[in-house]
Amino acid sequence: MNSTSTSDVIGRRVEVNGEHATVRFSGLVPPVAGLWLGVEWDNPERGKHDGSHEGTVYFKCRHPTAGSFIRPHKVNFGVDFLTAIKNRYVLEDEPKEEETEQIVIIGNKPVETIGFDSVIKQQSQLSKLQDVSLRNCAVNGAGDKGEIAKACPNIRSIDLSKNLLSSWEEVIDIADQLKHLEVLNLSENKLTSPSSSPSPTGTFPTLKVLVLNRTGVTWAEVLRCASGWPVLEKLYLESNNIIISERPTDVLQTVKLLDLSSNQLIDENQLFLIAYLPRLEQLILSDIGISSIHFPDAGIGCKTSMFPSLQYLVLNDNQIAQWSFMNELDKLQSLHALSCTRNPLTEGSKDAQTTRQFIIARIGQLRTLNKCAIEPEERRGAELDYRKAFGNEWKKAGGHQDPEKNRPNEEFLAAHPRYQALCLKYGAPEDGELKTQQPFLLKNQLLTLKIKYPNQHDQKVIEKQLPVNLQERSGMLLLGLCSSNWGRPFPLE
Amino acid sequence: MRECLSIHIGQAGVQIGGACWELYCLEHGIQPDGVVLDGGQDLLAPAKTEPTRASFDSFFCETRAGKYVPRALFMDLEPTVVDGVRAGSYRSLFHSEQLVSGKEDAANNYARGRYSVGPEILDLVLERIRKLAEHCSGLQGFLIFRSFGGGTGSGFTSLLLEQLSVEYSGKTKLDFSVYPAPRISTAVVEPYNSILTTHPTIEHVDCTFLVDNEAIYNICHGKLDLERPSYASINRLISQAASSITASLRFEGILNVDLIEFQTNLVPYPRIHFPVTSFAPILSADSTHHKEPSVSDITAACFEPSHQLVRCDPRLGKYVACCLLYRGDVVPKEVNAAIAATKLRNSIQFVDWCPTGFKVGINDRPPREVPGGDLAEVQRAVCMLSNSTAVAEAWARLGHKFDLMFAKRAFLHWYIREGMEEGEFAEAREDLAVLEKDYEEMGRSL
Repeated sequence: MNSTSTSDVIGRRVEVNGEHATVRFSGLVPPVAGLWLGVEWDNPERGKHDGSHEGTVYFKCRHPTAGSFIRPHKVNFGVDFLTAIKNRYVLEDEPKEEETEQIVIIGNKPVETIGFDSVIKQQSQLSKLQDVSLRNCAVNGAGDKGEIAKACPNIRSIDLSKNLLSSWEEVIDIADQLKHLEVLNLSENKLTSPSSSPSPTGTFPTLKVLVLNRTGVTWAEVLRCASGWPVLEKLYLESNNIIISERPTDVLQTVKLLDLSSNQLIDENQLFLIAYLPRLEQLILSDIGISSIHFPDAGIGCKTSMFPSLQYLVLNDNQIAQWSFMNELDKLQSLHALSCTRNPLTEGSKDAQTTRQFIIARIGQLRTLNKCAIEPEERRGAELDYRKAFGNEWKKAGGHQDPEKNRPNEEFLAAHPRYQALCLKYGAPEDGELKTQQPFLLKNQLLTLKIKYPNQHDQKVIEKQLPVNLQERSGMLLLGLCSSNWGRPFPLE
Repeated sequence: MRECLSIHIGQAGVQIGGACWELYCLEHGIQPDGVVLDGGQDLLAPAKTEPTRASFDSFFCETRAGKYVPRALFMDLEPTVVDGVRAGSYRSLFHSEQLVSGKEDAANNYARGRYSVGPEILDLVLERIRKLAEHCSGLQGFLIFRSFGGGTGSGFTSLLLEQLSVEYSGKTKLDFSVYPAPRISTAVVEPYNSILTTHPTIEHVDCTFLVDNEAIYNICHGKLDLERPSYASINRLISQAASSITASLRFEGILNVDLIEFQTNLVPYPRIHFPVTSFAPILSADSTHHKEPSVSDITAACFEPSHQLVRCDPRLGKYVACCLLYRGDVVPKEVNAAIAATKLRNSIQFVDWCPTGFKVGINDRPPREVPGGDLAEVQRAVCMLSNSTAVAEAWARLGHKFDLMFAKRAFLHWYIREGMEEGEFAEAREDLAVLEKDYEEMGRSL
C-alpha cells in the first residue's frame, strides 16, 4: 500500500518522525529534480513555509509555517487496521519446544505438517480480542473488505486515537465490520467532514461511547454523523474549538454524558441549544471560560425547564466570580452534584469553608459538592450560617420577623433567592443572632473627642482618638494628652 | 482450587473490605445479592475457551442455589462497623455467619485486643474460619486486612495470626496493613500499637503490603480534585490496589502471579517482607478520556513518590525487587520496552547483589471503577510492589514516636492494667531496631 500516484495521495494523513501531517501536493518542484510531497503539518510551527516556493503556489496552508516539501520515501503512510492489530497483539513466534507433527494424507502419500499450530494460535488470539488499543499505530484504513470481520469480529472497544485515518468513510469501513462495537476512540485524528449525504443509519448500531477529543470536528459535522449513532450514551468533544451552532433535534437524544471541556468558544447562549437533550445527566464544561449563566424561563425561586435530567455538572477551571451563578444553578430541576474548583469565586476567598457553605446554602437540592458528599448536618449548618451571615442585609432590605411586615426588596430577593425559604425552614433570624461581635481590637476601644478651645476661637477644633475604659469610675474621664503642644490639663465640658 | 480466604479485622479492615468486595463483584459481574448478571461476565460466548470460572472460585463460593458468596470473614470487637455491613447495600451478599462482632471494643488498646477482650471472641472467629476452609478444596492462603494503629487491628490480629500458623501451617498469609499516617493521626497511641503488633506477627506473615492514609489523602487531594477526601475515597483507592494484586488469582491471565510467587520474588529474607505499593494511572473521573497513558507512561509513574500508597522516598534507598502487575490492554513487547527504559534511569538503584529484580504479571481484564467513583476508567493500569530499603524510613519514624512516648512511660498504664508488662514494649522495640538494622545491611554494597 504505497502508491504515490497523485490522485491517491492528496489528503492522506502521514507521519514523519512522530509528527503528523496531511498531504496537500505531489509532483515536481523545480529546480530540484525528483518527486516531492507537499505536506501541511498538524503542528503549525513545524514547517518552513505556507505551500509556496519561489513565488509559485503549490498548495495552501492555514498557517504561514505549516508547510514543507518532503521526499516520498521519508514519509510513513501507515498500515491497514489488520496489520496494525497483528503487529501489536500477536505474540512473536516463540521457540518451539516440540515440533508437533501431524501426518496428513495427500494423494496417498503421508505428508508432515509443521507449524500449523502457531498459525491457528495466532488466529484464535485475534478472534478473542475484545478491548483493543491501536493508539499511535499508524492505522490508515480498513484494508481489504471483510478481512476485519473475519479475523476479529468480537471487538467491543477500540482506541484508534492518534492514527492516520483521514476520512469518516474510512472509519465507517472499519466500524461496519465490528458488529459488537460499543466504545470508539478517534481522538487526535483529523477526519475530513463526511460527504453531504448522511451516513446510513445502523452503521454504529451498538455504539455507546464515542471519543472525538482534539480532532477539530465541528458541531455541524457531529450532528450530521449523529444519525448513525442511535444508542449513543457518552460523547466526548474536548478541545475542538467547538461553537454550538444548532439544536440537535432528532439526534443525540440518548446521550447521557457530554464532555465539552476546553472549548473556549462556547458561551452561555450556546448552552441553551443543548438544553433540551432529554437524557443528558452529566455535562462537563471545565475550562471553557464561562463566567455567567441565566435561565430566562424561570423567575426567582422557580425551576427552569432547561436541562431537565442534568444531575452532575462540572465547571472546574472557569471564570465564575459572581454568586448569582450559584443562584441560577438552583433553578435546575435535577442537579444534585456539582464540581466548581479553581474559579475566581472559590479561589480568591481565604475562607474555603465559608465558600463551600454558601454554595451549599444557595443550591438547595445539592447532595455532593466537589466530590464530597453533603451530609444532612453539614447542610443544616451551612444554611443556618448563611441565614445568619446575611441577616442584617435582609433587615436593611425590608425583612422582618413578623410575616406581615416582611417585605424585602427585589434587589435582595434577586441576590438571595433562597433566603425566604430558609426563613420558613428555620424561622427568621433573631436580633440576638445578628448582633455582630466586634473583635477586641484597640481601635474598637477608642473614643473620638472633639476638643474646642473655649477662649481661643482662632484655634481649630481638634479631633483626637483616645483609649478609654468606660467602666472605670462613672463620669470621670481621665485624659492623657500626648501632644507636645499641650502641657497642662484643662477642664472639659 | 487455589482458594483464598480474606479476613477483615477492625474498623479499617472491615471498611476496606466493603470497598474491595464491591469492586470484585463489579469485576465479576456479580450483583449485590450474589447472583451473576445474565449471561455472565463474558457476553461473547465464542470467545471463551477454557472455563474461566475456575479462577473466580478462588474468591467466591458457589452455593447450591446458584448464588456466589465471598470467601471472607468480617470481624470487629464492637458491633457498629460490622452492623454497617449487615445493613448496607451488600447485605445479601454475605452469610450472617461471616459477619462477627463482639460487644465491647478494644478502645485503641493493643492489650485489650490481644489479652483481655480479644481472646473471648477468638474461638468463635477460628470456628467460622474453619467452616470457610471446609468449603475449599485447595486452600492457598489468607489475606488479612487491618490497621496497625487500632486496638483490634493490632491486638486481635496478632493473636489470630499466631493461631492460624498453628492450625493452617504451610498456608500463605498476606497482610494489607494501614500504617499510621505520619502527620494525620487518629490515635495518640498508634506508635505503641503498631510496634507491639509488628513484633509477634512478623514471623507469622509472609508479606505485608503497607498503605498509609496520608499518602492516599494527598493523592486524592492533589490528583483527583477531591476537596476533602473521605475514608470512602481512600478505601476505594486501596481496593484498586488490592484488586490488582489479587487479579491473577481471580482471572486467567497471560502472565499469572499467585500468592506464593509474590513471596518467592519479592522477599529476599523472611523478615524483609514490607514492599511499598504504588499505583498508576491516577486520573480524575472528570477527565476521562482526556489522556490515555501508555504502558511506558504508567510504568514510569510508579516510580514517582506521588503515586505511592506509603510515604517514603525510594530515591534515597535501593530496590531489592520489584513486582509489576499490569492489567488491561498491555502487550508484553511494550512491557519489556518500559522496563528496559526504567533500568536505564539513574534515580532507580538496585542493590548490588540483586541486579535484575523485576517480576511481571499481566492480566488482560481491564481495570474497573465503581459507579460514582473518583478514578477515571482507563484501558490499562499497573500496581507495583517494590521491596526497597527506603521502607526503613517509615519504621524509623514510627520508632522515634514510640521512643518519645515510652521514655516518659506515657499512656502505658492503659496497657499494664490489661495485663501487659513493660518488658513486652522493650522487646518489641528491640525487634524493630533489629529490623531497621537488617534493612541497612541489605542496602550495603558487597
